[in-house]
Amino acid sequence: MKTNALTGDVLLGLVPIALVIALWQGLVSFGFAPATLLPPPGLVFARLLQQLVTSTFHHEIAATLIRLFGGFSIAVILGVSIGIAAAANPAINAVVRPIVRVLAPLPKVALYPALLLLLGFKHESKIVLVAADALFPILLSTYYGASTVEQKLIWSAMAAGTPRREILFKVVLPAAMPSILTGCRIGLVISCIVVFLAEMITSTDGLGHMLVTAARTFQAVDMFVPLITISLLGLILNGLLQALRSYLLRGFPEA
Amino acid sequence: MIEIDRVSQIFQTSSRKDHLALSDISLTIEDGAFVSILGPSGCGKSTLLYIVGGFVSPTSGLAKMKGKAITGPGPDRGPVFQEFALFPWKTVLGNVMYGPRQQGVRAADAEAQSKALIEMVGLKGYENFYPKELSGGMKQRVALARTLAYHPEVLLMDEPFGALDAHTRTRLQNDLLNIWERDRKTVLFVTHSVEEAVFLSDKVVMMSKSPGRIRQVIDIDLPRPRRRTELLLDPRYQKYVVDIERMFDDSDEPASNP
Repeated sequence: MKTNALTGDVLLGLVPIALVIALWQGLVSFGFAPATLLPPPGLVFARLLQQLVTSTFHHEIAATLIRLFGGFSIAVILGVSIGIAAAANPAINAVVRPIVRVLAPLPKVALYPALLLLLGFKHESKIVLVAADALFPILLSTYYGASTVEQKLIWSAMAAGTPRREILFKVVLPAAMPSILTGCRIGLVISCIVVFLAEMITSTDGLGHMLVTAARTFQAVDMFVPLITISLLGLILNGLLQALRSYLLRGFPEA
Repeated sequence: MIEIDRVSQIFQTSSRKDHLALSDISLTIEDGAFVSILGPSGCGKSTLLYIVGGFVSPTSGLAKMKGKAITGPGPDRGPVFQEFALFPWKTVLGNVMYGPRQQGVRAADAEAQSKALIEMVGLKGYENFYPKELSGGMKQRVALARTLAYHPEVLLMDEPFGALDAHTRTRLQNDLLNIWERDRKTVLFVTHSVEEAVFLSDKVVMMSKSPGRIRQVIDIDLPRPRRRTELLLDPRYQKYVVDIERMFDDSDEPASNP
């Protein structure tokens, strides 16, 4: 029964995607756009399958994934630890709060030229940019989750003999987990966007670079392949995060 | 023995005016006594309990446990809150085992003790459930078992049955008394229900509000073990309830409360 409902949901979710592809095909078939500029979806998916077995394409995907994971992981580690520390300690909060207020609304991509000069064209500059952009949603939601932990959970643990310094790990961190994971979800989407953007602006490899190179030489089919690939990667990663979320939050009421 | 010695508590309200939540409270609670603190909402009765728990430090005065000043929470004083405050990420067994594990009891022993306690509060078979899967009454049974698991000398119960429906509340009162009859721990029980206070307690501490003060301490001289059906028909029980209600009614009159 439950698996039936699940497959039903998945099938229902495929309908709008099928509609978009149908619209795409329609645009090409009825001649609204020349096939040289907007290739039919069948052609793009055929090229994607063809590319998927080549080692150069693997290299591009690997480059993008390394940057995505590198940046996202740094953002999670820093965001969660700073968020928890700020919620636990007023002195740390007094330092962190103004910095966050100034940096959070800053378009981090504006830092990219500086990062390129400082760190070069390889992974480092992109990883730092992804981390900088994904950090704030994770930090802010961790801070919010950690500072709204029910006081009586903490009291219950302290009365049971948990020392104050262990409360952070034994109560605050697990209690803030729903907010932390919500922040991670937003951070992951941002990471996907930013890594692609950085590779489009300046890079020597990666999916974003593939797209720009194809676009500049009017190879329309090759231009759409990385686009579809990053969407699929985003879909898979989000699915994995969702699975992790349902596992970690299995005891929480609204998960 | 718990001694509360001239304790006052001042809170700053948002308008920066000082609010005197507790004014000069002195009270002694004997070992093994079941003492209820009874009063209208806002009289500071929960605050008094939190001070004994060591969760809140009094603005002035001192609370002592066995002659030693209370400076923080400790496993000798186990709280049970109206909101249950169970760890949502732990199962029933995980919640109950938390205290013994913190006390350094080996996992296997903690599990065995916890399972016995879960059975005692009537939840055998629910060990691997998460709190969200339980009703309010069951959650409060788990919370009680979690607190009993680390063997506190004093139970601090903060309107523990306040969020439950009347039927569940009655059952839990009976079960609490049964459990209490076995080892006669000291219980400090905060409530605003007169019947509940008289039914459970050896002593009822009546409080009035603004500022929170002790109005009167009444010894409840009713035989134990107490059975609800017998007690409800007992004229002595009825008299206690009516007398206490009258006293609260009097205090609500503007003339006596200028």
